[in-house]
Amino acid sequence: MKYLWQLSSLVKRECKILYKNPIYGFCMVLFPLFTLLFFTSLLHEGVPEDMPVGIVDLDNTSTSRGLVRRLDAFQNSEVVARYSSVAEARRAIQENRIYAFLYIPKGTTEQLLSARRPKVSYYYSLTSLTGGSMVMKDLKTIATLGSAGVGQATMRAKGFTPGQIQAFLQPIRIDLHQIANPWSNYNIYLSAVFVPGIMMLFMFLISAYSLGMELKFDRGKEWIAMADGNAVVALLGKFLPQAVVFLALIFSYEYYIYEVLEFPRLGSVWMIVLLAVLQVFASIGFGIFAFGLMPSLRMSMSVCSLWAMLGFSLAGSAYPVMGMDESIQALSWLFPLRHYYMLYQTTVFNGYPLIDAWFHLVGLVAFTLLPWFVLRKIKNAMLTYVYIP
Amino acid sequence: MSIFHNRYQWLLDAAYVWRQEMKQAFRDEGVLIFFIVVPLLYPLLYSWVYNNETIHEVPVVVIDQSHSQLSRQFIRMCDASPDVRVAYYAEDLDDAQSLVSRQVVKGIYLIPEDFATRLNRMEQGTISVYCDMALMMTYKAVFQTAMAVSQQMGAEIQTKLSGNYTAREDVITTQPLAYEDVPIFNPQGGYGTSVLPAVLILILQQTLVLGIGLAAGTARERNRYGDLVPIHKCYNSVGRIVLGKSLCYLMIYAVMGAYLTVAVPHLFHFLQLASGRALLVMMIPYLLACVFFGMTVSCLVRYRENVMLLMVFVSLPLLFLTGVSWPQSNIPAAWQGISWLFPSTFGARAYIRLNSMGATLNDVLPELRYLWIQAAAYLGAACLVYGHQLRQSHRHAHERLDYLRKKRLLRQRLGTKKDRKR
Repeated sequence: MKYLWQLSSLVKRECKILYKNPIYGFCMVLFPLFTLLFFTSLLHEGVPEDMPVGIVDLDNTSTSRGLVRRLDAFQNSEVVARYSSVAEARRAIQENRIYAFLYIPKGTTEQLLSARRPKVSYYYSLTSLTGGSMVMKDLKTIATLGSAGVGQATMRAKGFTPGQIQAFLQPIRIDLHQIANPWSNYNIYLSAVFVPGIMMLFMFLISAYSLGMELKFDRGKEWIAMADGNAVVALLGKFLPQAVVFLALIFSYEYYIYEVLEFPRLGSVWMIVLLAVLQVFASIGFGIFAFGLMPSLRMSMSVCSLWAMLGFSLAGSAYPVMGMDESIQALSWLFPLRHYYMLYQTTVFNGYPLIDAWFHLVGLVAFTLLPWFVLRKIKNAMLTYVYIP
Repeated sequence: MSIFHNRYQWLLDAAYVWRQEMKQAFRDEGVLIFFIVVPLLYPLLYSWVYNNETIHEVPVVVIDQSHSQLSRQFIRMCDASPDVRVAYYAEDLDDAQSLVSRQVVKGIYLIPEDFATRLNRMEQGTISVYCDMALMMTYKAVFQTAMAVSQQMGAEIQTKLSGNYTAREDVITTQPLAYEDVPIFNPQGGYGTSVLPAVLILILQQTLVLGIGLAAGTARERNRYGDLVPIHKCYNSVGRIVLGKSLCYLMIYAVMGAYLTVAVPHLFHFLQLASGRALLVMMIPYLLACVFFGMTVSCLVRYRENVMLLMVFVSLPLLFLTGVSWPQSNIPAAWQGISWLFPSTFGARAYIRLNSMGATLNDVLPELRYLWIQAAAYLGAACLVYGHQLRQSHRHAHERLDYLRKKRLLRQRLGTKKDRKR
């Protein structure tokens, strides 16, 4: 009962602090919402459409123009320019005007008709991987269709049925199932990791910041005294209101992506709730731990921001962890975002049972319990340290 | 003569500001972290993370219900491909799914019972591919391998059916129009090669802004009235302050910039097509723009920690705005406009094109122009905000002086009264 009274007075005190300092409002609500808006609006196309590509058509016949027209009709590419030589088109790539170009050499149609197997080439820049691979896909389809078109014409002339023609031109068909993201939509793929990642960054920073501010403005003694010297009660009272705000933030994010933007998910709502709770407490746990290790505002915040930024790479959402060196793979366990991402994609995105991601569940719980190791150090810091700018 | 003397004195004052700033930067551990430690270590760490560039041997599970020579050929060819490894065989989809769920494999190849039968009847055979879409790179490896193998097997079947006489005829039957794809500027399709140049350039800007912000915060907190500009005869005009401070940051970052754009790519064997002169021409306006941008931002924050809360999280959006992850042509216009406020947008674009794509300075002229415009605009902004800070600290000083004068006057009056009473 005594603890409850202490807790309620601490919670009241914390609410007052959160309300009075506008920094908290910015970092706990405005900036994360800005990030949410940024990523979802930046990637709202899902798949990059109508990327500029060029043409070097030295053949200039109805067949070659047909190829170009077909390329232009594709979803990802838009033919924006024609060049008279490969060198000129390459310069256009270097000047950032196009991402790729199709080169049709002179005599292509003639050789095609006389069965001398001409060669068309497409050049694409892979300095932007997403753009490059998308444009490549279109160009490849065009070339394949070009080949098939010739075969089709010959076979039709010989009197084969459409079924026979198809079976001959493509004997083995690949029936692709893209589970949970059938459009290979980049918005679903990237926003679902980077937005929670930024939110976790703010949870790290704000936890360390709010502890450091107690020291900076010399309120630490008062804070510990209100909990009667009990560091657990003091920390609970301080971080419960913050956790509630962050949970509300995360639920509004989940509502926005699943209900408004209608991202697909195969997992249940309860998995989302569990993941959100783990996310908030693990991140706050990490922030407190960082401050406990180095009870100085600037050091703990620097460590938190550097750790969070590295987490985006080591979460392995863009470049998979399995492709990294083994030592880095082990290192990735030290990043809460990695565990969050693995739990998210197993239980929420794909809807598989929680037991298959138990390791990452344990990981997040471990981050939640980390402050246990630094309880005494934090208390000590609050009672004895003096802030030096 | 006095003009020269004044100029000389002005330079001396600026040098004093520079020295003070240098001293402070190397004394403050927070500043030191962002000016020295992060630019030194982060690139090494990122290069290490991405040094494998691409993924190979993505594990998949195969459900072979056909059990035929053709199905086994398909499995063998997939396993032999560089990107996919057949790690498991499963009896049915449920078995296979549980393997995906446990993250043991990234995709499923299902070869149905009638696969070989249909092919032998000259009908179209189907192979189902199920991909875990949580990772785009593994999805591409799993799908593209199946696609390539099916096309190759298809070509073999075509040649068998067409009854040609020569090998040349076989080739023409399967592919009357040959095509060649030529990936240029990043031929291996490496992830690190495409992302790291932008990350390096972004690290320069972000650490500069964070370092300058922290230094300014410390200066304020050390100051008695919380002012950025101390009262000192050398800190008497905006020009001297801005010149002295920016010179200090520029000197540190000339070294760091050289390290990030020349030494790190050299150490990790990244693509390096830009000449030293081109890099110099590009980096000078970029660093100037970053320094003045950082000085402008630093005046806006009251406490030193706030710059961290403000600048760290924008790093990720800024990386996306450079156009390395999401193509620049597809960034919505509003975000394009916002991206023009940050030097990193043009810096990264110019650096990637010079260094990874072998462009000439002429090709990146628009970006260079924008960088110079930004440098000039932020220089103006920095002068404006520092002018404001200077006036503010003078006002505070005057207030304090007035207060002290009044106090003395009052004391004198009280003193005289007491004397009279005596």
